[in-house]
Amino acid sequence: MTSSADHKTHTLSCRMRPEPAALERLCQVARIRGFRIEEMQVRTDADGLAIDMVLSGQRSIDTLRRQIEKLHTVCSLRGPEQALTGVRQSA
Amino acid sequence: MNAAQHILDALQRHQIDTVFGYPGGCIMPLYDALVAEDVGVEHVLCRHEQACALAADGYARASGRTGVCMATSGPGATNLITGVANAHRDSIPMLVITGQVPSGLIGTDAFQETDVLGMTLGIVKHSYLVTEAPEIPAILEEALQLAGSGRPGPVWIDIPKDILLTDIGEPKAPAPTTATPLPDPTAEIDEALAMLREANMPLLYSGGGVSLAHAESAFRRFAKASRLPNVVTLKGIGNPGYDNADQMGMLGLHGSKAANMAVDTCDLLLVVGARLDDRATGAVATFAPNAKVIHIDTDAAELGKLRATDLAIRGELRDILDSMADALIRQPLTIENWRQQCATWRKTQGFQTAINEDPHAPISGPEFMRQLTDIAPRDAIVACDVGQHQMWVAQYCRFDHPRNHLSSGGLGTMGFGLPAAIGAQFAFPDRPVINVTGDGSFMMNAQELATIRRHKLPIKLIIMDNQCLGMVRQQQELFYENRESQIDLDDNPDFLALARAFDIPTLAIQRTDQVRRGIQTILAYDGPMLLHVRIDRSENVWPIVKPGASNRDMLDESQRPTSTSAKNKESAA
Repeated sequence: MTSSADHKTHTLSCRMRPEPAALERLCQVARIRGFRIEEMQVRTDADGLAIDMVLSGQRSIDTLRRQIEKLHTVCSLRGPEQALTGVRQSA
Repeated sequence: MNAAQHILDALQRHQIDTVFGYPGGCIMPLYDALVAEDVGVEHVLCRHEQACALAADGYARASGRTGVCMATSGPGATNLITGVANAHRDSIPMLVITGQVPSGLIGTDAFQETDVLGMTLGIVKHSYLVTEAPEIPAILEEALQLAGSGRPGPVWIDIPKDILLTDIGEPKAPAPTTATPLPDPTAEIDEALAMLREANMPLLYSGGGVSLAHAESAFRRFAKASRLPNVVTLKGIGNPGYDNADQMGMLGLHGSKAANMAVDTCDLLLVVGARLDDRATGAVATFAPNAKVIHIDTDAAELGKLRATDLAIRGELRDILDSMADALIRQPLTIENWRQQCATWRKTQGFQTAINEDPHAPISGPEFMRQLTDIAPRDAIVACDVGQHQMWVAQYCRFDHPRNHLSSGGLGTMGFGLPAAIGAQFAFPDRPVINVTGDGSFMMNAQELATIRRHKLPIKLIIMDNQCLGMVRQQQELFYENRESQIDLDDNPDFLALARAFDIPTLAIQRTDQVRRGIQTILAYDGPMLLHVRIDRSENVWPIVKPGASNRDMLDESQRPTSTSAKNKESAA
């Protein structure tokens, strides 16, 4: 059993090329690699998609970052600015 | 020129001369383009789309070139999925092309429509749904570059039928895309060398990444220069070559005790092109407990993923290994005591088969593989399926090159072996190709005997038949108190009659004294031949690590519960 205190939240900002499955790819990598998307904001501008995400999970955010960076349509990735630990009340 | 013709043009420009596929409604424009007389691409019609993808995988795995498969929308595409997932898990370069329903019908539940892009996101390196016909040349160029570069993998292009038919003018070779260069690892290499010199018991641990990076020669040069005792993963088998005196064999779940003892004892683990997966490490918390870890890989996401590293080096394996070899040639390591210790383990705890003096004794899987590897030519390609026979090949066959051993590592796909052998035979028409399979796996793609017949492929098929799903039975025996559940295959078809239906001659053996002659006969035969090998139902793969346990707690045959052993022997009689 893991307690909610084991979860950490992280914010990531990502720019992606606007191909048909861009958001699905991003969400799927976060989910399959053990993170939950707590918040997500998406804007489309002349440079493509700008995505801000708040993620929570127990695994290494650095590993997730490298896994997201492998997506071919990810142009850049910023973060995490790590938030307080244990803020989630339920796992 | 329409988009379909452009696709064939691009394949030829990239020297891709073989594709494995199956036609159908929405991919018909591409098949129509194949009819033209001047097309320099041979299309191999497999008899199931899964086999198309697995054959493309086998072609790529054996040759190092990108494998290509194609199918129609809907069931054609869904049938490809297992084969593409197989390639993804083992980082095999593959281009997948599927037809899709016409653009205007996407999202209307049209006949043979499936959301291929959506359902395959997790099993591809990248994928495309083409929405504009003029983008086809650039997408193909990028897809082929992506499939084969960096950490390779399958790239899937889903193309609506109307786009395949759209005229997009005369071919213009698009500007080749290039991969971003990796960072210069010189400083890390110096640090790695210092750590190697400081270590008393350093161990080299290599995986499938060596051949994927085309770094086989550099790896051998480094292994020879360093004289490091070395272990391999399932996909790393063959990395050290026949002649490396310091190899300890495969580590992990069914690895040798020698390899696992070396890992357990070493004080430095140099990981090259491997991802420290659970089948290799066992319980990762107790894996190499005394060792600092240096991890070299092309994929940054593998570094530190499962085991914290003391030094991570991302870069081109060839360059890194060559630099390290140069330094070690100038100033060799002094690890003689450790090498002697490993040599002793190899002699006493390595894979050894007990020679059964009774000529009428049932055939033992390990002993069969030992003889197969003694008799088969050094350049033979062995394509395995999944199960006990796969582990016996990994344990007892010797391979001079990792590309000679085709085994479904990450996904563990039963049914892989026969189509993979077909793909390998197309890549190397003049080399001996052997499919070692089990009675369970063989039935998963047995329809491909038709492909062997059509193309007169001289593949040798060896069915290790224990009339059950042996690996499942073994785990039920050892970890589920011998409660056998759905593993009986004692009503298998007559495999000899089945082969003969495809004009494939056969030979059946069941006694120890028939093994050598049986292997010699099929290898000498000029054409495909099937060898049916009856083996004992109760035979297990040893050693074994209980799922979730530490590799240091390997079980061997002496720890087999005697009551269950006796029961199995009885039921086999």
